[in-house]
Amino acid sequence: MHQLRAQIDEAVSIISSQWPRRPTTGIVLGTGLGDLAKHIATEATIDYEDIPHFPRSTALGHKGQLVCGTLASVPVVTMEGRLHTYEGYSPQQITLPVRVMKTLGVERLIISNASGGLNRKFASGDIMVIEDHVNLMWQNPLVGINDDQMGPRFPDMCQPYDAKLIDLALSIARRDNFVAHRGVYVGVTGPNFETRAEYRFLSRLGDAVGMSTVPEVLAAVHAGIRVLALSTVTNVSLPDKFSTTSGKTVIDIAAASEPKLRSIVTGVLEQAAAHPNEPAD
Amino acid sequence: MLELFDQIQEATGHIQSAWDQSPQVGIILGTGLGSLVDQIDVAATVDYDAIPHFPRSTATSHRGRLVCGTLQGLQVMAMEGRIHQYEGYALKQITLPVRVMKAMGAKLLVVSNAVGGMNPYYRCGNIMVIEDHINLMGDNPLIGINDDRLGPRFPDMSEPYELQLVDEALEIARRENIVAHRGVLVAVTGPNLETRAEYRFLRMIGADVVGMSTVPEVIVAAHSGLRVIGFSIITDMCLPDALQPANVDEIIATANEAEPKLRALVCGVLAREAARGKG
Repeated sequence: MHQLRAQIDEAVSIISSQWPRRPTTGIVLGTGLGDLAKHIATEATIDYEDIPHFPRSTALGHKGQLVCGTLASVPVVTMEGRLHTYEGYSPQQITLPVRVMKTLGVERLIISNASGGLNRKFASGDIMVIEDHVNLMWQNPLVGINDDQMGPRFPDMCQPYDAKLIDLALSIARRDNFVAHRGVYVGVTGPNFETRAEYRFLSRLGDAVGMSTVPEVLAAVHAGIRVLALSTVTNVSLPDKFSTTSGKTVIDIAAASEPKLRSIVTGVLEQAAAHPNEPAD
Repeated sequence: MLELFDQIQEATGHIQSAWDQSPQVGIILGTGLGSLVDQIDVAATVDYDAIPHFPRSTATSHRGRLVCGTLQGLQVMAMEGRIHQYEGYALKQITLPVRVMKAMGAKLLVVSNAVGGMNPYYRCGNIMVIEDHINLMGDNPLIGINDDRLGPRFPDMSEPYELQLVDEALEIARRENIVAHRGVLVAVTGPNLETRAEYRFLRMIGADVVGMSTVPEVIVAAHSGLRVIGFSIITDMCLPDALQPANVDEIIATANEAEPKLRALVCGVLAREAARGKG
């Protein structure tokens, strides 16, 4: 991980040259949720390909640009277009943007994704506020010689997702009257959807399954960033009741649930703007 | 994955220069199960070594050639010698032959393997028709930028093994008085056999048998729209509370002994395919 420092600094200097502000919140937009970026008072957009060492976004339903600006009075840097291990990127590459955000000044990271529901009490279109995760991606972005400047060798994972932000997100969902659960996200590589046998296995481990988020959260915790992660449950997989899944269905359902996600994100940012000195727990 | 398309064309071109037919069925033969090829009315054999981009088979009891010809009235292309992840090959290399079969015209893939039985109702020498699988190989052959010409970015896996064929194979087994189960295969990399604790884990997550192959090929078959039927031969029993040291020679001997049953089932399934005019 030693070469990361130089890569981060080069990426940061390009971003800062186009957008000199200091963001306090980073946002990673997942599958079908890119519309949130339209609600940012945009001050700069930078293509990933113009940022040194940034991987390109190749996934369905993902653009590939950094949107910098203001949302709910908070300076934010937003990844419109997420990177996945199934695209062939290493977890170190995928999490470079999180490290860059940290260096830019980000203290709080809001991540969204689309997931398959494993918990039968969930319905398609529900939001799951991620309370915890299981890493079944067979990889870890922290593998390698640790750079102690970036974070500890053995980061604690007793609370990777910030408890206060989880409670706040759930209270916003109640206020706006939509269904939001708290639950455990199982990260797998994909890209194929799960077999019925795999769903049965994974449903013993968590509430939703997806192909992202875990690497970014590991890097964020390592870097000392508070994390809120929101998952749109795009289909509930019932292994005993046969049905098929397509990438397009997932994207359509995620897009339809985008307003719910947006209300949580803006609600959290309004709270942050009102209490800029909130303790980091 | 963008390099695959050209590799498939080159491999296909080479095979077609040796065999001018188009396969209806692709067959991959697992450990100790190679003698099924004796049933094939062989029109051509092509060594893997001679096919551009094909990996070599290095595993015990695996040869390394494609056998092309006729079986039960269907044009078949059989891999005599399977390639495994534990040999050090990338899953993209292992599954290239499946893509080549698809490109040459195959509609159905028949896979077989030797497995350890974890379901206590199974016995050594029994056959399990694979109903579903769990991928615990820590890797996936579809990782990389997707080539939409080969298949979708996110393939559905709700029925990787065609359930109608599973039912038909079990019916043939009953008719032939062969003990056959339907069950779930979990695939691991190996090459070590599992510890007792690992067998308990694999059983707990819902698997009936454990093997070191097949899942990559089936994922790629599903990606490319091939129908699949899979057979596992239980070559040793893996009951963690009564575990015996595994003996590879015995495993291969059991596979060889059970091989006629597998042959009967494969031939039976293909005969039905031929009667349907599919394949």
